[in-house]
Amino acid sequence: MTDDVTFKNREAHEAAEKLATYEWGFTSDIESERAPKGLNEDTVRYISAKKGEPEWLLEWRLKAYRAWLTMEEVDWAKLDIPAIDYQDAYYYAEPKQKPTIASLDELDPEIRRTYEKLGIPIEEQKVLAGVEGARKVAVDAVFDSVSVATTFREELNKAGVIFRSISEAVKEFPDLVRKYLGSVVPQRDNYFACLNSAVFSDGTFVYIPEGVRCPMELSTYFRINAENTGQFERTLIVADKGSYVSYLEGCTAPMRDENQLHAAVVEIFAHEDAEVKYSTVQNWYPGNAEGVGGIYNFVTKRAMCSGARSKVSWTQVETGSAITWKYPSCILKGDGSVGEFYSVAVTNNRQQADTGTKMVHIGANTRSTIVSKGISAGRSDNTYRGLVKVLPGAENVRNFTQCDSLLLGDQCGAHTVPYIEVKNPTATIEHEATTSKISEDQLFYAMSRGLDQEAAVALIVNGFAREVLKQLPMEFAVEAQKLLGISLEGSVG
Amino acid sequence: MLEINNLHATVAGKPILNGLSLTVPAGEVHAIMGPNGAGKSTLSYVLGGRPGYEVTGGTVTFIGEDLLAQEPHERAAAGLFLGFQYPVEIPGVSSMQFIRESLNAQRRARGQADLSGAEFIRLARAEAAELGMDVDMLKRPVNVGFSGGEKKRAEMVQMGIMRPRFAVLDETDSGLDIDALRVVGAEINRIMRGPDRAALLITHYQRLLDYVQPDRVHVLAAGRIVRSGGPELALELEREGYAEVA
Amino acid sequence: MTALALPTRKDEAYRYADLDALGRVWADLAQAREIVVPAGEAHSHVLLAANEAVEVHRARLVIQPGASLDLFALNGAAEYGRIEMDVEVREGARFTLNAANIAGGKATQEIVTHVRHTEPNGTSNQTVRSVLGGTATGSYLGKVAVARQAQKVDGEQSVKAMLLDRGATANCKPELEIYADDVKCAHGATVGELDPTQLFYAMSRGLPPAEAKALLLEGFVLQLWDDAPEDRRDELVEASRALLRRVAA
Repeated sequence: MTDDVTFKNREAHEAAEKLATYEWGFTSDIESERAPKGLNEDTVRYISAKKGEPEWLLEWRLKAYRAWLTMEEVDWAKLDIPAIDYQDAYYYAEPKQKPTIASLDELDPEIRRTYEKLGIPIEEQKVLAGVEGARKVAVDAVFDSVSVATTFREELNKAGVIFRSISEAVKEFPDLVRKYLGSVVPQRDNYFACLNSAVFSDGTFVYIPEGVRCPMELSTYFRINAENTGQFERTLIVADKGSYVSYLEGCTAPMRDENQLHAAVVEIFAHEDAEVKYSTVQNWYPGNAEGVGGIYNFVTKRAMCSGARSKVSWTQVETGSAITWKYPSCILKGDGSVGEFYSVAVTNNRQQADTGTKMVHIGANTRSTIVSKGISAGRSDNTYRGLVKVLPGAENVRNFTQCDSLLLGDQCGAHTVPYIEVKNPTATIEHEATTSKISEDQLFYAMSRGLDQEAAVALIVNGFAREVLKQLPMEFAVEAQKLLGISLEGSVG
Repeated sequence: MLEINNLHATVAGKPILNGLSLTVPAGEVHAIMGPNGAGKSTLSYVLGGRPGYEVTGGTVTFIGEDLLAQEPHERAAAGLFLGFQYPVEIPGVSSMQFIRESLNAQRRARGQADLSGAEFIRLARAEAAELGMDVDMLKRPVNVGFSGGEKKRAEMVQMGIMRPRFAVLDETDSGLDIDALRVVGAEINRIMRGPDRAALLITHYQRLLDYVQPDRVHVLAAGRIVRSGGPELALELEREGYAEVA
Repeated sequence: MTALALPTRKDEAYRYADLDALGRVWADLAQAREIVVPAGEAHSHVLLAANEAVEVHRARLVIQPGASLDLFALNGAAEYGRIEMDVEVREGARFTLNAANIAGGKATQEIVTHVRHTEPNGTSNQTVRSVLGGTATGSYLGKVAVARQAQKVDGEQSVKAMLLDRGATANCKPELEIYADDVKCAHGATVGELDPTQLFYAMSRGLPPAEAKALLLEGFVLQLWDDAPEDRRDELVEASRALLRRVAA
């Protein structure tokens, strides 16, 4: 029943790929803007020089590169990762001019259908599809403003919020960047984070000053569609004392990129009483039904809850990528700090996901909550891997973990690998996990009320994931719900 | 038998009892009534010595001794019994073992010999029978799998076996149907009525008092006794509500 | 004789092991004990590992179709105790493990299980309780694997650890590897200290603190042995009590 799946999302991706490959036709004259193939110190120097970076950052990159040479790829995840030839890749390309089309009518009907299913407004569809002149229109339509960038920036400036690409921030706020870069995810943390440190392309820098509540949800949405941040994205968010920010990453629309390997790093540093809410919807190209192609998404995300009563909440909806390796984590160092991890991970066809979180309790009265919902379909493998660690000095720690897996079909795998390590007797740690298949009773009940099978599956899966979805900002949640349904189309029946 | 004088207590730093005074002489049964949040359960826990219930002022004298200086188990050995509003479940420990070990610990503290296994079972069986409870219930883990009403009856069985001098019964009537209420009421009278015994019934409603006629009724509000009277006060409260009376 | 090299921390099944202690007995370690429960039969086994300072017990168990095995294991070695088993549960077979780590001082104790449901309709129930005092470490690494064809499997793990002292460590990893969709697999794990409410309840009935604590710890552990074979139950109970007394002292 999984062989004849009509995986609309995949089709959309493939259509997008076709567009990109043939009709948009990347030509060879781009070569001249690329770093030479392969990775060595010269590549690192080339990247740094191209970006006009200061000496300290070049040194920082080189140090990472040298460390990376001594490290090994991770092999502990429940993932079958094909050998990656790091010398057979380009590590720097000038931001490409996105090919454009004259109107949405020229867009592949499959992609168009996916956009419509996701409920993406027409004007945003134009931006995503690269319709000529669409950006400005979309901006106008969505935000009812002549220039959203200007409005955004003015409002943020007024609040004192810094929201820049990392490259800009390095030039404008070198001291801030230097102080925090690598402070949460050290260069040598793991193979992929180290690689990222050496060759990161671009990314986002956010600084919220003391006592400031960021006046809007910060989103990478526009920038990601405006320019190619590349495969080695680097995000750094610093929330000063008593500040608050909600940050949205990703996009529910199918995203594709000709770079197969993505190794991003996200660092969050939260000071006293600061709160950061980080939401992700990840829908990179998952490869075709036979598992050919698709993005390898190897991401290191970590938050340092440094100050007392600081709080970081990770919410993720992961539906894309051929391989996902990702553990958004919290180091709960400040007394009374709070870490949260809410995750929905959907795998279908030949996708593989190994994702979860680490909650490291160092401070007294620190609390963490983990809610993970894994949904496996097709011939995919979906693993939750988590660590809850309580250090000896951490008094009165509380952790609650709920970890549920749902299997759709009998050719997939659902795995749970939780580690619990407790060194303080005052801790209260509770962990629950269940594995179940989609209930035929529920399916029948929903269908007897008039829903077709796909709608019924979508309904039940959304119910299963509800606890996580409700953590998302409203507009994101609606799209994410639809995305879950689309990702699973054809997986039951 | 019990003298509470100007008692102040806090829970998590929040004042709950604010100068409560109360005397219960031997041979009497008193009732404390009051609205939710008045401090009724706090009073019972303070008397029982529960950690986290901090006495910040006042005295409590129990049979001539300073109650507040004693550990919870010493209070039990001295003859105090606390009937819990929510009796605690202890998986893995049978009620039989729990009650027997507790009773023998009390006896040793009083310089009495342990009850033998046979003596204890005889006693337990007799007391369970008074409650209409199958003694097999006591072979099960403490309060585990018991309904709310069964838990309250199990508390009465414990009280019957331990024969305390003074019982503080916190909302013992909650969760009981009318038949169980009659049985529990009769048990309180049987076990706690006597010239050298006394009891303090903490309750929200008057209905238990239909079966256990109190000698005195006190109204607790905002952490102090605001009115005291005879059994008729309970009826008045039932009729008029706490707002009117207190 | 084992021909294999001494494991390292990188070996997942040994991540919490006391490798020094293991190294001392490694060369003399017996092969894993092979136990096959014939089809349709019901067997019980008791493993009381509390005699030597270092005890390493390894078993390979096969529970044939329709058979059942109840295993009762008490881990109480004073320095290093390791109980490790690989269990194959075949069609309609049932595996029950009731096991305890009771460790004090500097002891390291671990229970490592790999339960493989290779055929349909099998059941496994693992209940592990750890009581850890001093600077002891108690671990449970339990993996339940359900093969593609092993539909209608029911696999449960219940893991609870109690830490009595500052310095004690509890580790647990209740792992699921599921390849069949019509299964019921669940696990629950808790780590904490003695419940203060239970402690107060017991004290309010007259038990002095030490006795109340001992009683609650017994309740925590001894229920593991309720269904142990009659002729060995008392032995398990007494050994557990003795260990608890030592650990809680």
